[in-house]
Amino acid sequence: MAASATATISLCSSFATHCKISQNLQTLATHFSFPSLSSSSSHKLSSCSLRRPTFPLLIKSSESDSAVVVEAEFQAPEPEAGPDDSEPAALQVVETPSSEAPKREQLFGVVMIGGRQYIVIPGRFIYTQRLKGANVNDKIVLNKVLLVGTKTSTYIGKPVVTNAAVHAVVEEQGLNDKVVVFKYKKKKNYRRNIGHRQPNTRIRITAITGYQDYPAVTLES
Amino acid sequence: MNKGKIFKLAKGFRGRAKNCIRIARERVEKALQYSYRDRRTKKRDMRSLWIQRINAGTRIHGVNYGNFMHGLMKENIQLNRKVLSELSMHEPHSFKSLVDISRSAFPGNKNVVPAPQKKGLQILV
Repeated sequence: MAASATATISLCSSFATHCKISQNLQTLATHFSFPSLSSSSSHKLSSCSLRRPTFPLLIKSSESDSAVVVEAEFQAPEPEAGPDDSEPAALQVVETPSSEAPKREQLFGVVMIGGRQYIVIPGRFIYTQRLKGANVNDKIVLNKVLLVGTKTSTYIGKPVVTNAAVHAVVEEQGLNDKVVVFKYKKKKNYRRNIGHRQPNTRIRITAITGYQDYPAVTLES
Repeated sequence: MNKGKIFKLAKGFRGRAKNCIRIARERVEKALQYSYRDRRTKKRDMRSLWIQRINAGTRIHGVNYGNFMHGLMKENIQLNRKVLSELSMHEPHSFKSLVDISRSAFPGNKNVVPAPQKKGLQILV
Protein backbone atom coordinates (compact mmCIF):
# COMPACT_ATOMS: atom_id res chain seq x y z
CA MET A 1 0.00 0.00 0.00
CA ALA A 2 2.28 2.80 1.12
CA ALA A 3 5.84 3.10 -0.02
CA SER A 4 8.33 3.52 2.73
CA ALA A 5 9.02 7.03 1.63
CA THR A 6 5.54 8.31 2.37
CA ALA A 7 4.40 9.46 5.74
CA THR A 8 0.95 9.74 7.14
CA ILE A 9 0.09 13.04 8.69
CA SER A 10 -3.04 13.57 10.64
CA LEU A 11 -3.75 17.09 9.76
CA CYS A 12 -6.62 18.14 11.84
CA SER A 13 -4.69 18.57 15.00
CA SER A 14 -1.94 20.62 13.48
CA PHE A 15 -4.04 23.38 12.01
CA ALA A 16 -5.04 24.86 15.26
CA THR A 17 -6.94 27.83 13.92
CA HIS A 18 -9.84 25.83 12.61
CA CYS A 19 -9.92 22.71 14.65
CA LYS A 20 -12.38 23.80 17.25
CA ILE A 21 -15.92 23.25 16.22
CA SER A 22 -17.69 26.53 16.70
CA GLN A 23 -20.96 27.93 15.58
CA ASN A 24 -19.61 30.90 13.67
CA LEU A 25 -18.42 29.37 10.47
CA GLN A 26 -16.97 32.06 8.28
CA THR A 27 -16.41 30.41 4.99
CA LEU A 28 -16.96 33.36 2.77
CA ALA A 29 -13.41 33.56 1.50
CA THR A 30 -13.63 31.55 -1.64
CA HIS A 31 -11.15 31.83 -4.39
CA PHE A 32 -12.94 30.11 -7.19
CA SER A 33 -15.12 31.61 -9.87
CA PHE A 34 -18.55 30.21 -10.29
CA PRO A 35 -19.02 28.85 -13.78
CA SER A 36 -21.97 26.79 -12.73
CA LEU A 37 -24.13 29.93 -12.72
CA SER A 38 -24.82 29.46 -16.39
CA SER A 39 -25.75 25.84 -16.20
CA SER A 40 -27.58 25.81 -12.93
CA SER A 41 -30.89 25.80 -14.73
CA SER A 42 -30.05 22.66 -16.57
CA HIS A 43 -29.42 20.63 -13.48
CA LYS A 44 -31.88 18.45 -11.90
CA LEU A 45 -34.08 19.03 -8.99
CA SER A 46 -36.80 16.88 -10.38
CA SER A 47 -34.99 14.12 -12.15
CA CYS A 48 -34.13 12.27 -9.01
CA SER A 49 -34.75 8.70 -10.00
CA LEU A 50 -32.26 6.39 -8.37
CA ARG A 51 -29.40 8.60 -9.43
CA ARG A 52 -27.25 9.36 -6.39
CA PRO A 53 -24.46 11.24 -6.27
CA THR A 54 -24.63 13.09 -9.51
CA PHE A 55 -21.23 14.76 -9.47
CA PRO A 56 -19.36 13.82 -12.63
CA LEU A 57 -16.36 11.60 -12.17
CA LEU A 58 -14.31 12.24 -15.23
CA ILE A 59 -13.77 15.97 -15.09
CA LYS A 60 -10.85 17.15 -13.01
CA SER A 61 -11.70 20.53 -11.58
CA SER A 62 -9.75 23.20 -9.88
CA GLU A 63 -12.21 23.32 -7.05
CA SER A 64 -14.36 20.29 -6.60
CA ASP A 65 -17.56 22.31 -6.38
CA SER A 66 -17.25 23.87 -9.74
CA ALA A 67 -16.97 20.50 -11.34
CA VAL A 68 -20.70 20.15 -11.41
CA VAL A 69 -20.89 22.20 -14.58
CA VAL A 70 -20.74 19.15 -16.83
CA GLU A 71 -23.38 16.49 -17.17
CA ALA A 72 -23.06 13.55 -14.85
CA GLU A 73 -21.07 10.63 -16.09
CA PHE A 74 -23.18 8.25 -14.07
CA GLN A 75 -26.14 8.90 -16.28
CA ALA A 76 -24.38 7.41 -19.27
CA PRO A 77 -23.88 3.72 -18.39
CA GLU A 78 -27.44 3.01 -17.29
CA PRO A 79 -29.49 3.75 -20.41
CA GLU A 80 -27.07 1.83 -22.59
CA ALA A 81 -27.32 -1.34 -20.57
CA GLY A 82 -30.88 -1.83 -21.81
CA PRO A 83 -30.52 -2.47 -25.54
CA ASP A 84 -27.43 -4.60 -25.03
CA ASP A 85 -29.32 -7.69 -24.08
CA SER A 86 -31.14 -7.97 -27.37
CA GLU A 87 -28.18 -7.26 -29.63
CA PRO A 88 -26.02 -10.03 -31.03
CA ALA A 89 -22.61 -10.34 -29.50
CA ALA A 90 -20.80 -8.79 -32.42
CA LEU A 91 -22.55 -5.47 -31.94
CA GLN A 92 -22.13 -5.39 -28.22
CA VAL A 93 -18.70 -3.93 -28.49
CA VAL A 94 -20.16 -0.83 -30.05
CA GLU A 95 -23.03 -0.51 -27.62
CA THR A 96 -21.06 -0.16 -24.42
CA PRO A 97 -18.61 2.65 -24.93
CA SER A 98 -18.85 4.23 -21.54
CA SER A 99 -18.49 1.31 -19.16
CA GLU A 100 -14.76 1.30 -19.68
CA ALA A 101 -13.78 2.83 -16.35
CA PRO A 102 -13.95 0.48 -13.35
CA LYS A 103 -17.08 1.41 -11.41
CA ARG A 104 -15.88 3.05 -8.29
CA GLU A 105 -18.32 3.39 -5.49
CA GLN A 106 -20.37 6.51 -5.99
CA LEU A 107 -19.90 8.51 -2.92
CA PHE A 108 -19.03 12.03 -1.95
CA GLY A 109 -18.19 13.83 1.23
CA VAL A 110 -18.07 17.33 2.59
CA VAL A 111 -14.80 18.02 4.35
CA MET A 112 -13.57 21.13 6.06
CA ILE A 113 -10.02 22.24 5.34
CA GLY A 114 -8.48 25.53 6.26
CA GLY A 115 -11.79 26.98 7.36
CA ARG A 116 -13.48 26.24 4.06
CA GLN A 117 -15.75 23.38 3.13
CA TYR A 118 -15.26 21.33 0.02
CA ILE A 119 -17.32 18.62 -1.63
CA VAL A 120 -14.87 15.82 -2.32
CA ILE A 121 -15.13 12.73 -4.50
CA PRO A 122 -12.52 9.99 -4.49
CA GLY A 123 -10.23 10.30 -7.46
CA ARG A 124 -10.40 14.05 -7.96
CA PHE A 125 -8.22 16.83 -6.75
CA ILE A 126 -8.98 20.07 -5.01
CA TYR A 127 -6.98 23.19 -4.29
CA THR A 128 -6.86 24.22 -0.66
CA GLN A 129 -4.98 26.74 1.41
CA ARG A 130 -1.32 25.95 1.76
CA LEU A 131 -0.82 23.13 4.23
CA LYS A 132 2.33 23.85 6.13
CA GLY A 133 4.49 20.88 6.87
CA ALA A 134 3.10 18.71 4.09
CA ASN A 135 5.53 17.62 1.43
CA VAL A 136 4.73 16.27 -1.98
CA ASN A 137 3.44 12.68 -2.00
CA ASP A 138 2.51 12.77 1.64
CA LYS A 139 -0.57 10.90 2.68
CA ILE A 140 -3.03 12.98 4.59
CA VAL A 141 -6.02 12.09 6.70
CA LEU A 142 -8.72 14.71 7.06
CA ASN A 143 -10.96 14.25 10.03
CA LYS A 144 -13.50 17.02 9.80
CA VAL A 145 -16.01 15.24 7.62
CA LEU A 146 -19.35 16.98 7.81
CA LEU A 147 -21.43 14.81 5.51
CA VAL A 148 -20.99 11.62 3.54
CA GLY A 149 -23.33 10.59 0.80
CA THR A 150 -23.48 7.26 -0.96
CA LYS A 151 -25.77 5.94 -3.60
CA THR A 152 -28.47 4.96 -1.19
CA SER A 153 -27.92 6.80 2.07
CA THR A 154 -26.66 9.98 3.58
CA TYR A 155 -24.68 10.34 6.76
CA ILE A 156 -25.24 13.82 8.13
CA GLY A 157 -22.79 14.85 10.79
CA LYS A 158 -23.77 16.85 13.85
CA PRO A 159 -21.45 18.54 13.34
CA VAL A 160 -18.98 15.84 12.28
CA VAL A 161 -19.47 12.26 11.15
CA THR A 162 -17.60 10.43 13.91
CA ASN A 163 -14.69 8.25 12.87
CA ALA A 164 -15.04 9.26 9.26
CA ALA A 165 -11.83 10.14 7.51
CA VAL A 166 -10.94 11.35 4.08
CA HIS A 167 -7.61 10.08 2.80
CA ALA A 168 -5.73 12.23 0.38
CA VAL A 169 -2.31 12.62 -1.15
CA VAL A 170 -0.52 15.93 -1.50
CA GLU A 171 0.24 16.46 -5.16
CA GLU A 172 1.69 19.88 -5.41
CA GLN A 173 2.42 22.96 -3.33
CA GLY A 174 2.00 25.88 -5.64
CA LEU A 175 0.68 29.39 -5.96
CA ASN A 176 -2.62 30.73 -7.14
CA ASP A 177 -2.83 32.96 -10.19
CA LYS A 178 -1.52 36.45 -9.70
CA VAL A 179 -3.96 39.04 -8.50
CA VAL A 180 -3.07 42.68 -9.05
CA VAL A 181 -3.85 44.76 -6.00
CA PHE A 182 -4.07 48.33 -7.26
CA LYS A 183 -4.84 51.06 -4.78
CA TYR A 184 -5.59 54.53 -6.05
CA LYS A 185 -6.84 57.73 -4.54
CA LYS A 186 -7.94 60.40 -6.93
CA LYS A 187 -6.37 63.86 -6.91
CA LYS A 188 -3.97 62.87 -4.15
CA ASN A 189 -1.22 61.32 -6.23
CA TYR A 190 -1.54 58.00 -4.45
CA ARG A 191 -1.03 54.83 -6.44
CA ARG A 192 0.13 51.49 -5.19
CA ASN A 193 0.55 48.55 -7.50
CA ILE A 194 1.15 45.20 -5.81
CA GLY A 195 0.95 41.71 -7.19
CA HIS A 196 -0.12 38.84 -5.00
CA ARG A 197 0.00 35.08 -5.38
CA GLN A 198 -1.61 33.13 -2.62
CA PRO A 199 0.08 29.82 -1.79
CA ASN A 200 -2.08 26.78 -2.26
CA THR A 201 -1.83 23.01 -2.12
CA ARG A 202 -3.31 20.57 -4.54
CA ILE A 203 -4.44 17.36 -2.93
CA ARG A 204 -5.93 14.33 -4.57
CA ILE A 205 -8.61 12.48 -2.70
CA THR A 206 -8.08 8.74 -2.56
CA ALA A 207 -10.76 7.37 -0.25
CA ILE A 208 -13.50 8.18 2.20
CA THR A 209 -13.71 5.70 5.07
CA GLY A 210 -15.11 5.18 8.47
CA TYR A 211 -18.64 6.40 7.99
CA GLN A 212 -20.45 3.07 7.99
CA ASP A 213 -21.33 2.93 11.65
CA TYR A 214 -22.83 6.34 11.83
CA PRO A 215 -26.64 6.64 11.82
CA ALA A 216 -27.70 7.24 8.28
CA VAL A 217 -30.68 8.52 6.43
CA THR A 218 -31.49 5.89 3.84
CA LEU A 219 -33.38 6.21 0.65
CA GLU A 220 -36.47 4.04 0.68
CA SER A 221 -37.09 3.76 -2.99
CA MET B 1 3.69 50.20 -15.30
CA ASN B 2 4.88 50.71 -18.78
CA LYS B 3 2.78 51.02 -21.86
CA GLY B 4 3.06 47.41 -22.89
CA LYS B 5 1.53 46.20 -19.69
CA ILE B 6 -1.21 48.79 -19.89
CA PHE B 7 -2.18 47.72 -23.37
CA LYS B 8 -2.14 44.12 -22.35
CA LEU B 9 -4.59 44.86 -19.59
CA ALA B 10 -6.67 47.02 -21.91
CA LYS B 11 -7.61 44.26 -24.29
CA GLY B 12 -11.26 44.27 -25.15
CA PHE B 13 -11.88 47.82 -24.06
CA ARG B 14 -14.14 50.00 -26.09
CA GLY B 15 -12.99 52.54 -28.61
CA ARG B 16 -9.72 54.36 -28.14
CA ALA B 17 -9.27 52.96 -24.68
CA LYS B 18 -7.58 49.91 -26.10
CA ASN B 19 -5.33 51.78 -28.52
CA CYS B 20 -4.32 55.16 -27.18
CA ILE B 21 -2.14 55.26 -24.12
CA ARG B 22 -3.59 58.33 -22.49
CA ILE B 23 -7.08 56.96 -22.51
CA ALA B 24 -6.04 53.39 -21.90
CA ARG B 25 -4.08 54.31 -18.80
CA GLU B 26 -7.12 55.89 -17.21
CA ARG B 27 -9.41 53.05 -18.12
CA VAL B 28 -6.99 50.43 -16.91
CA GLU B 29 -6.54 52.18 -13.60
CA LYS B 30 -10.28 52.30 -13.23
CA ALA B 31 -10.56 48.64 -14.13
CA LEU B 32 -8.03 47.69 -11.50
CA GLN B 33 -9.85 49.73 -8.90
CA TYR B 34 -13.06 47.98 -9.77
CA SER B 35 -11.44 44.60 -9.52
CA TYR B 36 -10.08 45.46 -6.07
CA ARG B 37 -13.52 46.51 -4.93
CA ASP B 38 -15.29 43.63 -6.55
CA ARG B 39 -13.11 40.95 -5.08
CA ARG B 40 -14.74 41.98 -1.86
CA THR B 41 -18.25 42.29 -3.21
CA LYS B 42 -17.94 38.94 -4.96
CA LYS B 43 -17.95 37.25 -1.60
CA ARG B 44 -21.16 39.04 -0.68
CA ASP B 45 -22.79 38.29 -4.01
CA MET B 46 -21.92 34.65 -3.84
CA ARG B 47 -23.41 34.30 -0.41
CA SER B 48 -26.58 35.99 -1.56
CA LEU B 49 -26.78 33.62 -4.51
CA TRP B 50 -26.32 30.60 -2.31
CA ILE B 51 -29.06 31.79 -0.02
CA GLN B 52 -31.43 32.26 -2.93
CA ARG B 53 -30.70 28.77 -4.15
CA ILE B 54 -31.18 27.22 -0.74
CA ASN B 55 -34.43 29.12 -0.38
CA ALA B 56 -35.68 27.78 -3.67
CA GLY B 57 -34.65 24.28 -2.76
CA THR B 58 -36.30 24.26 0.62
CA ARG B 59 -39.54 25.85 -0.53
CA ILE B 60 -40.11 22.89 -2.76
CA HIS B 61 -40.40 20.89 0.42
CA GLY B 62 -42.57 23.44 2.15
CA VAL B 63 -39.94 25.07 4.35
CA ASN B 64 -38.56 28.54 3.95
CA TYR B 65 -34.94 29.52 4.26
CA GLY B 66 -35.13 31.16 7.67
CA ASN B 67 -36.76 28.24 9.39
CA PHE B 68 -34.52 25.81 7.57
CA MET B 69 -31.35 27.47 8.79
CA HIS B 70 -32.78 27.79 12.28
CA GLY B 71 -33.46 24.08 12.33
CA LEU B 72 -29.95 23.29 11.13
CA MET B 73 -28.40 25.51 13.77
CA LYS B 74 -30.45 23.80 16.42
CA GLU B 75 -29.24 20.43 15.28
CA ASN B 76 -25.65 21.65 15.20
CA ILE B 77 -25.19 20.86 11.53
CA GLN B 78 -22.40 23.08 10.33
CA LEU B 79 -22.60 22.86 6.58
CA ASN B 80 -22.10 26.24 5.05
CA ARG B 81 -24.31 27.89 2.49
CA LYS B 82 -22.05 27.13 -0.39
CA VAL B 83 -22.25 23.40 0.21
CA LEU B 84 -25.95 23.55 0.98
CA SER B 85 -26.67 25.26 -2.31
CA GLU B 86 -24.64 22.65 -4.19
CA LEU B 87 -26.50 19.87 -2.44
CA SER B 88 -29.83 21.47 -3.21
CA MET B 89 -28.94 21.50 -6.89
CA HIS B 90 -27.24 18.17 -7.35
CA GLU B 91 -28.08 15.93 -4.43
CA PRO B 92 -31.82 16.19 -4.02
CA HIS B 93 -32.13 13.22 -1.72
CA SER B 94 -29.48 14.38 0.69
CA PHE B 95 -31.01 17.82 0.65
CA LYS B 96 -34.45 16.45 1.38
CA SER B 97 -33.12 14.56 4.36
CA LEU B 98 -31.56 17.79 5.60
CA VAL B 99 -34.87 19.57 5.21
CA ASP B 100 -36.60 16.81 7.15
CA ILE B 101 -34.09 17.05 9.95
CA SER B 102 -34.56 20.79 10.09
CA ARG B 103 -38.32 20.51 10.05
CA SER B 104 -38.33 18.08 12.92
CA ALA B 105 -35.97 20.28 14.89
CA PHE B 106 -37.89 23.47 14.29
CA PRO B 107 -41.40 23.02 13.01
CA GLY B 108 -42.14 26.63 12.26
CA ASN B 109 -43.81 26.20 8.96
CA LYS B 110 -47.33 25.10 9.66
CA ASN B 111 -48.84 27.84 7.56
CA VAL B 112 -46.52 27.92 4.59
CA VAL B 113 -48.59 27.48 1.47
CA PRO B 114 -46.63 26.35 -1.56
CA ALA B 115 -46.68 28.84 -4.40
CA PRO B 116 -49.52 28.16 -6.82
CA GLN B 117 -48.44 26.08 -9.76
CA LYS B 118 -48.07 28.29 -12.78
CA LYS B 119 -49.74 26.79 -15.79
CA GLY B 120 -47.56 26.39 -18.80
CA LEU B 121 -48.51 26.45 -22.45
CA GLN B 122 -49.62 22.84 -22.24
CA ILE B 123 -53.10 23.95 -21.25
CA LEU B 124 -53.60 25.40 -24.68
CA VAL B 125 -52.81 22.16 -26.44
